[in-house]
Amino acid sequence: MSRDTLIVRVAQILLGITLLGLWELAAVTKWPDPVLAKSPGQTWSFLVKSASSGQLWSNTRATMTAVLIAWVLAGVAGVVAGVALGLMPRVERVLTPYLDSANAMPRIALAPLFIVALGINTSAKVALASTLVFFIVLSGARAGVRSTDAEWLRLSIVLGARKPQLFVKVLLPVATPAIFASLRLGLIYSLLGVVGSELISARSGLGQLIAYYSSTFRMEAVYGILLLLAVIAVVLNQVMGLLERRLLRWQPPADR
Amino acid sequence: MTMTSPTRSNLEEHAQTLTSDTNDAIRINNVSVAYGSDGRSSRPVLSGVNLTIRKGEFTALVGRSGCGKTTLLNAVAGLVDPTEGSVTVMGEPPRLARRHLGFMLARDALLPWRNALRNVEYGLELRGVSKAERRQTALHWLGAVQLLHAQHLWPWQLSQGMRQRVALARTWALNPDVLLMDEPFAALDMNTRQSVQQKFLELWQSEEHRSVIFVTHDLGEAIALADRIVLIGDGRVLEDVTVGIERPRDLEFVSANRRYQEIYHQLRAQIG
Ligand SMILES: Nc1ncnc2c1ncn2[C@@H]1O[C@H](COP(=O)(O)OP(=O)(O)O)[C@@H](O)[C@H]1O
Ligand SMILES: [Mg+2]
Repeated sequence: MSRDTLIVRVAQILLGITLLGLWELAAVTKWPDPVLAKSPGQTWSFLVKSASSGQLWSNTRATMTAVLIAWVLAGVAGVVAGVALGLMPRVERVLTPYLDSANAMPRIALAPLFIVALGINTSAKVALASTLVFFIVLSGARAGVRSTDAEWLRLSIVLGARKPQLFVKVLLPVATPAIFASLRLGLIYSLLGVVGSELISARSGLGQLIAYYSSTFRMEAVYGILLLLAVIAVVLNQVMGLLERRLLRWQPPADR
Repeated sequence: MTMTSPTRSNLEEHAQTLTSDTNDAIRINNVSVAYGSDGRSSRPVLSGVNLTIRKGEFTALVGRSGCGKTTLLNAVAGLVDPTEGSVTVMGEPPRLARRHLGFMLARDALLPWRNALRNVEYGLELRGVSKAERRQTALHWLGAVQLLHAQHLWPWQLSQGMRQRVALARTWALNPDVLLMDEPFAALDMNTRQSVQQKFLELWQSEEHRSVIFVTHDLGEAIALADRIVLIGDGRVLEDVTVGIERPRDLEFVSANRRYQEIYHQLRAQIG
């Protein structure tokens, strides 16, 4: 570890301790409201209890299953659609106003619709999250394909490349960094979509737990689950970052 | 890649194939090219170009920027279909003759996600050469351009000169009968350019059966490298000059040659 990294790490830990201290202080002084004022200690003991009863695990699993299903399905669909649109500018021009307005819609507003249509189950959560992931990945893949250098295509064609080879050996690798960046963002949005859907109505999941505990004023439980969600988001992001660095070793460091 | 629609009948192409001289690598017959929706609406870039290039001949194409050099090269590569006339490469229509072609551009066009070795293998891979064979061939040509030590580096880790040498190795790995080169060294700085030119000339002179069409706007480069200089202007061939400087040439001293000076003064005014 270099000197700089060491300083940064120490500062991060100190900041964390300070924030915990402020939280504890707010709890002790009952600020801003006695209902909200729950200490880190209370939150921690909720997490421990909930984890040992299996409640935390089964709900985390319900949420993450939906997150991953939505991410994979909408991710694949988004890549295919984005690459296709990137290669067919005329089709893209026809579809653009529709895609833009669909993407501009506040997606959480669709949650009740999906719940009525699909029932209070995993499908409804997956559907909502998919509408977020799909558009993010679509625009990433489209931009990626667009960044193809015409000279690469010209050279490849003269050297004998056929259409499928152009796709596999030029267009996909060109688009990989942009696709990866969008998949990484898409994973976080998938979590957002699933938890949002669960908040509105669900049988299980971390969002549903938050809804339940806040309606019964169990704020230490709400804080605990929020913390857990934050940890999950950070871990997902780190895993994607690691994968990205391995896959994109060929990029100059400045572009990574 | 925009391509105008084909206008020649297959029959015509076939007749062309039968009548072509077996000593000719490239035949450009009365070729006109116009860009635009139907290929005829705008003023043609090329109008009635005739040019025959023999096997083993090194021809430089020169002319003002925008005169249609790249367009002519693209017609030979089958990237642009002539609105009129026809092209044959090794007796075949361009698109069927790509196995004979090597291609180099001003920008090296190395694929950034392939290391130097895999970039050299690229053309062989596209042509379905087995993995072991293409690796062996690529290593051979990387050695020929003194870059064996750089085989595992990514393109961004190479200097401009090294990148263009990788592009040379990629081209030679295909063992092409016809080399199409579009200002291949234009992006290099002066010193690097001369060393890469010298390397290129060495490779070409070591087995002189390859025909070259070398596009450049640098008249000095054209005279130093080529057997023949074709000046394009007003959509056609304006001058066709035989260089006649003996080979092998040393690029350090070629500009002192009398023929070099003569040709330079004869053509300079027309290039501008
Ligand atoms: N794809 C294209 N569509 C329309 N016009 C083109 C295209 N490519 C080249 N041109 C035009 O044709 C002329 C010749 O271009 P080019 O062959 O690139 O010239 P050079 O290589 O000699 O500089 C230029 O006026 C250029 O603007
Ligand atoms: Mg040009």
